[in-house]
Amino acid sequence: MENLKIEATQYTPEIDFNSQSSVLSIVGKSYPENTFEYYKPIVNWIEEYLKTINDELLRVNLDLEYLNSSSLKAYFDLFDLLEIAHDEGKNIQIKWIYDEENDISEETGEDFIADFKSLDIELVIKG
Amino acid sequence: MSDTKMIDELVSLKDNFTTTIDKLTKDLKRNKKIMERSDKQQRKEYDELQRKLQEVEALKKEIEETQQEVVFTMGSIGESRSKETGNHVKRVAEYTYLIAKHLGLAEKECEMLKQASPMHDIGKVAIPDAVLNKPGHFNEEEREIMNTHAQLGFDMLQSSKRPLLKMAATVAYEHHEKWDGTGYPNKLAGEEIHIYGRITALADVFDALGSSRVYKSAWNDERIFTMFKEERGKHFDPQIVDIFFDNLDEFLTIRNLFKDLS
Repeated sequence: MENLKIEATQYTPEIDFNSQSSVLSIVGKSYPENTFEYYKPIVNWIEEYLKTINDELLRVNLDLEYLNSSSLKAYFDLFDLLEIAHDEGKNIQIKWIYDEENDISEETGEDFIADFKSLDIELVIKG
Repeated sequence: MSDTKMIDELVSLKDNFTTTIDKLTKDLKRNKKIMERSDKQQRKEYDELQRKLQEVEALKKEIEETQQEVVFTMGSIGESRSKETGNHVKRVAEYTYLIAKHLGLAEKECEMLKQASPMHDIGKVAIPDAVLNKPGHFNEEEREIMNTHAQLGFDMLQSSKRPLLKMAATVAYEHHEKWDGTGYPNKLAGEEIHIYGRITALADVFDALGSSRVYKSAWNDERIFTMFKEERGKHFDPQIVDIFFDNLDEFLTIRNLFKDLS
């Protein structure tokens, strides 16, 4: 699988997948004008990628300081995908990275943990 | 259809139904959660925005008040060295605003002139005390020295890039020009004199005549009005003299409001 790299904009995060290390990292803010259109190819890409892996570890690092409501919805959908893959036996580790002072982001991470009990999600305070 | 088959189908339907309801319930709960999270975020953002806006407003007010004070202080420096009171510049400021308003200048321009006109005599800081505070009349040489304050004020202010100080430079430069071309420093006539200069000329003279100075006592109103009528189209722009008489009560109200303490 090839690397994936989408640069950050004022309204969208940087998205980076390194196929060597199998780390998908998404960093920044997300409040695009058309959230669904923006995330559709990315979610498709991840869906295709998940089909190609067996038991190797996929690490997902999410450092999202700001999400509008439709972006939050998009991430719930992404977690759905990851949960299905996990249930199929794929090895996935998720880090939800947040700033200590960003209560909203911390609570969002706690929501994901509560909603996706079978997934391995770790809350990490930004150093 | 046999009963067994029917039972099987009903069980299958029930299972499908339960799965669908479960999925719908899950989606609804999730949407509710997303809405709640977003509402909380929006409330926080809006509070923050309001707070920042208030901060900006307060800063804007602070800047404007500081500017106003600096302008009045600068103006008063020129005045205080010639033993005139700080209220002179405040009255001139108000008169120039009033005239500009009645001339139909834009509100922003009127406000700006009110800020700039107090600096009309700033050039006097460079006039020697012996001349500036001399009681009685000037001789020709002293008069010439005194008259340089218009050019001096212009030189002090003109290099500024700030629109307010540029306007003040014009006012300082042209407030002693006369409509008939007999003023100084450039003997400009009529509309060659900038409107800010023409406005400030009348405002300044009206206030100066009504106040007592080291070299003269205050004129009474009748004497001032007679002089203004005579100087209509000579010293002063006739339109501005007309505005003055048409709105006399407003000028007198200002004079009363910013009276000198004796």
